[in-house]
Amino acid sequence: MNKGTGAGTGPTAAAAAAAAQKQKTMMQRVETDIANIVDNFTQLVNVARVNDPPVRNSQESFMMEMRAARMVQAADSLLKLVSELKQTAIFSGFASLNDHVERRTTEFNQQAERTDQMLARIGEEAAASLKELESHYYSSAQRTPDTA
Amino acid sequence: MDGNLEISLDKLPIKRLESIEENGVERYPSDSSYDEKRVSLIRRIDFAWALEDDEERERKKRQKKSSKDASATWQWQSMVENLQLAHQELSVIIDLINTVDANDAVTVAGMTRPKPLPNEVLSDLAVSAATKLQCYRQLGKYFKQSAKALEEQIAREARFYGALIRLQQNWKVKRQRLAAAASSSEGFIIDLFDNSLYDSAAMCRPSSLSTIRVDHDSAGMLAINLPPNSCRSLHFGFLGVHSADIPKELGKIRTRGSVEQCTREREKESMSDDEYIKETHTLLREVHQSIFDDQVFEMLNREAFNQSIGVNVTGIRENYLQLSIGQGNTLFISLVPSGKGDDQDAANTQDSESAIVPLDSFDNVKLEGKHGTSKRKWGFPNRTSCEIYLQQIVHEHAFVKAKDKPNLSGTRVSGQSGKDGPGLLGHFCLSLAHRIFSNRVLVELENVVCRVPYLHLMTHPTWHSQTSSWTIFLKVPQSILHAESQSLKSDFQNMKDAVKSQFRTKVVVNDDRINVEGDGAPNVVSLFKRSSENISSVNKYECDLADLPVIILLQAASQVICWLHEEALMVGIKTNRDFLCLTFELEQGDTVSLVAHVNPEDIKGGIAWWLVMEDGSPDDWKLQMDMYDGASEYRKFLGHLTLDVLYSTLMDLVSLCGGGRNH
Repeated sequence: MNKGTGAGTGPTAAAAAAAAQKQKTMMQRVETDIANIVDNFTQLVNVARVNDPPVRNSQESFMMEMRAARMVQAADSLLKLVSELKQTAIFSGFASLNDHVERRTTEFNQQAERTDQMLARIGEEAAASLKELESHYYSSAQRTPDTA
Repeated sequence: MDGNLEISLDKLPIKRLESIEENGVERYPSDSSYDEKRVSLIRRIDFAWALEDDEERERKKRQKKSSKDASATWQWQSMVENLQLAHQELSVIIDLINTVDANDAVTVAGMTRPKPLPNEVLSDLAVSAATKLQCYRQLGKYFKQSAKALEEQIAREARFYGALIRLQQNWKVKRQRLAAAASSSEGFIIDLFDNSLYDSAAMCRPSSLSTIRVDHDSAGMLAINLPPNSCRSLHFGFLGVHSADIPKELGKIRTRGSVEQCTREREKESMSDDEYIKETHTLLREVHQSIFDDQVFEMLNREAFNQSIGVNVTGIRENYLQLSIGQGNTLFISLVPSGKGDDQDAANTQDSESAIVPLDSFDNVKLEGKHGTSKRKWGFPNRTSCEIYLQQIVHEHAFVKAKDKPNLSGTRVSGQSGKDGPGLLGHFCLSLAHRIFSNRVLVELENVVCRVPYLHLMTHPTWHSQTSSWTIFLKVPQSILHAESQSLKSDFQNMKDAVKSQFRTKVVVNDDRINVEGDGAPNVVSLFKRSSENISSVNKYECDLADLPVIILLQAASQVICWLHEEALMVGIKTNRDFLCLTFELEQGDTVSLVAHVNPEDIKGGIAWWLVMEDGSPDDWKLQMDMYDGASEYRKFLGHLTLDVLYSTLMDLVSLCGGGRNH
């Protein structure tokens, strides 16, 4: 797939537009949640005044519970947003991931080459050692025949 | 009510004249209805007494408070009394309300709350404040609880995503959105299948292990749960030498894949996240290796069904392949689960012995009795090295070749079809067959060389899987050369090679063909011309394994003869050289020959020497030591001589020849 760098048309532009839209949506969600939290907390503080009719206090206590629940819900929504961002980072961080993969690939290739060189060196040393040992062995007076 | 009872008097219920009009009409009040009468009676209820009681009570309370310390009263007594009074009042009011309610004619015009006393106001306020405070405290607890839960959730997610990001550095992490909606987890999977490396012809179906689901454990950390015995590993062996069950060391190495979940749970608590991620990496790597082994086995199975050189399938069943590689050797390749227990090992062994469906007879499985069990085991290459070799050639063919298609080195396998040559499996079988055969050749060579002190064996690593090479040196001792160099000056300057310091016999094994190439034997041309041309002739021929010792000994003996011949020429004595015989001419046509006798079964040495004297004249006296065929000759067994002794013998013969000539 040939991704053109020109703006306006093409998958890159559509992906960029989708990303911008998503970012905007997330910002709106963040603002909504934070406004929700602030508003509910303000209301909670405002109903701290003790009123004369006790029924109003009961009404206010129910309202406080409701606002507290809304605050927690908004906080939970913010945390979900953070999770979504983390997931997006996991699946969309291609630049850093590709760099890392390329770096690892280079490391492994180098390691493979070093291993091959080491194996070749081991082979050569083994051959040299074998030659030396054979010459010593067959030059010695004692030779043990390998009988069945 | 206590105290004096107050009585109110009502007027008599008689009609009293209300008014008289001028005309004398008398007006009496109208009769009130029953309801009106009731209402009027109700209105007459007076609660003043209750109020007075309250005032009295308050007064008494103040008195009691002042004398509180003096008397030990129950602290709730006043509250009880208040509640009792309140109960009484409430009962009266409820009765009144019920009466009013039952009577439709009468309705409650209005109710006014009595003006609260200051303390009541304050107490109400206090209660409200306390209630509100309690409400806020409950809210506070709720917030703390929620915060703690959210913090734990954050910590769990941080651990999970941190681990997942670290895994993503090495593995392909994907997300299944449908699965995410269905299950509670986010639906992450790790894809271990590499579909970019196989061409369509060799396309392998994805293994069931290719996709691994990432779950959450009880602590929120990511967990990878594999079914037990899901990982399989390649298992190789030679039939009759290795058993078909899993070697214990292999089982120990590969048990990680089948570690029970409960032990992992216990271990996880003591392990740090780093160690746990390393463990997970290891587990994924084992699964990856298992997938690769599955692919290797599948590829081998596919090749086994193609007719190719070197492949001879003698048994096949699920996850088991048996091949004959010639020379009576049979190997098996199987896929076994990594974490199988001992009871299944026995079952495996029994299955391998009884449930095999042979395509060929099993006679070739039994090796010859010439070599014992130890020899059989010794002659076979290490099974682990064979497994590694098999995996390596498949990896190079399937992975490296797919990536670098135009680059094919000469030593690599063609690997495609059997038409052009052996495939992977064929190459592997041929390599193993060659390895086993070359080990046997080496055994024979060592047996020969060990018995002859002047032969040296040298191995030449060819770094080729189907070629082996050795050289047998026959070294002439240095002392003889040194002595020779002093006696010789420039008499034979044309003899550029002078005397050889060593003779070589090269043994090359290609697959199962033995080629022997050696110098020192006389060539055919010089034999016809009966001249000792100093041409180093080289013999090349193929032989069997059984004939190899004899051939080597013959070659060595002929090289010794050649050397002795050259030594004799050095001192100016003309000798006739035959294959294994060096003949000196004496006077009167007598000849004395030094003859080599080779016997590979001779444990004292492979080459023995005889002195054979032939009489030129049939009538002369003959010493008949050993007469075999009635020919006029006698023979003396000299034994297994070293080169020094041979040289001395040669000099003696030379002097004999020279002395005879002088006579």
